[in-house]
Amino acid sequence: MTFDWSVVWQHRDALGQATGMTVLLTVATMFIAVPCGIAVAVLRLYAWKPVGVLATAYVELFRNLPLILVVYWAFYVLPILTGLGLSPLATGVTALALNVTAYNAETFRAGINSIRRGQTEAAMALGMSRAQALRRVVVPQALRRILPVLASTWVSLFKDTSLVSVIAVSELAYVAMQIRAQSYRVLEMLTAMAVIYWLLGYPQAKLVDWMQRRFAVTE
Amino acid sequence: MSDARHEPVRTMATGATILRYRGVTKRYGNFEALAGVDLDVHAGEVVCLIGPSGSGKSTLLRCTNGLESIADGVIEFEGTVLPRDERMLRAVRQRMGMVFQSFELFPHLTARENVAEGPRTVLRMNTTDAGRRADAMLAKVGLADKAANHPAALSGGQQQRVAIARALAMEPDVMLFDEPTSALDPETIGEVLNVMKALADEGMTMVVVTHEMSFARRVGDWVAVFDAGRIVEQGPPQQIFDAPTTERTRDFLGHLGWTG
Repeated sequence: MTFDWSVVWQHRDALGQATGMTVLLTVATMFIAVPCGIAVAVLRLYAWKPVGVLATAYVELFRNLPLILVVYWAFYVLPILTGLGLSPLATGVTALALNVTAYNAETFRAGINSIRRGQTEAAMALGMSRAQALRRVVVPQALRRILPVLASTWVSLFKDTSLVSVIAVSELAYVAMQIRAQSYRVLEMLTAMAVIYWLLGYPQAKLVDWMQRRFAVTE
Repeated sequence: MSDARHEPVRTMATGATILRYRGVTKRYGNFEALAGVDLDVHAGEVVCLIGPSGSGKSTLLRCTNGLESIADGVIEFEGTVLPRDERMLRAVRQRMGMVFQSFELFPHLTARENVAEGPRTVLRMNTTDAGRRADAMLAKVGLADKAANHPAALSGGQQQRVAIARALAMEPDVMLFDEPTSALDPETIGEVLNVMKALADEGMTMVVVTHEMSFARRVGDWVAVFDAGRIVEQGPPQQIFDAPTTERTRDFLGHLGWTG
């Protein structure tokens, strides 16, 4: 068997752009899924009961559906439901954000619950409202505590963005597969893809490890 | 309820009544944590609540600023019945400083930020003014040089002094201390008690739940002995420690090895 690695170099521009798209998908998804995750967690913990039940239902639904199903669902059903003609990119981000928000909500809920009650009481004893105590005292501490979990979610998400290739978002997996289909260089393209995902994913994981040490709160 | 409980509970008043408790009752399920407590706290007084663990001292303190609600009776703060509404309670809490057994400093903030947090978030003071007030309060508890430290880098005694400064930064009318030295190493208890003594000397009104009998005796103006959710005896420290009138007080002090 002979290898022809020139195919990778030949398509460097397309692969570079596709890598950029993968990063964009990850960043955009997290940008939505972190605040939304906090919101859903807070609703689950503190909102009026029926709202809390809805938030719980959302989390349990999307945590237990295969991501690829959500991607297809967003592609085929969402336009009918909303009447919007979303681009493949927007559809992909929506599907990913729906899934990751559910996971983040669980992470934040665990983080908020891990901050002991006395902290909220101390904040309220100063005259803060429950919302202020959450925002100024509980959530900042919870965020630091769950940073490692968010980090692994981030790295998983970075890889899971490849699933939106099924709806023709021109991210790394999709573009690499397209090149493979045209050039028949299966092993070269799969290897190139693996190398790019790994080279980008590994430093991210290390960076977050560093952040975790840097911002660790000791009691 | 007996009539005796509603007789004036104090013979000598030092100032206006800051806190007035009448028939205060608190239940957790079937357990009666407070079974009708009557007590007055006057301006400038240090009132010490003593008694065995689980006798209701801390519960009374936590009901005072509404962290716990009461089942029956009234608590009046500066002549007004403690509101039940959360929003109105917040206004009351701003005027009561509270110090916890486990400090409860905010671990993600420095000492200065901890003390500035109340003025910033609750009083909407700007960062500069709040920081200035925080520095003044830290200086007051002798920790001006620790302003930039996080709580984890402070000893227990220092953390509790920061917690006192944090409560003082709201310029409260009364300070509530919930066993402020119970979680401390013996060698750091003194520094916290000294800060509290200095506060008392300045005329701060204080309600102190404590197991430090010598502090209650030396600094307290009035001592209330709790047992099973009731005040079994209250009076000036001389009476409580030298000539207790009830068997329960004698028992309690005897268990502590108090010899006068």
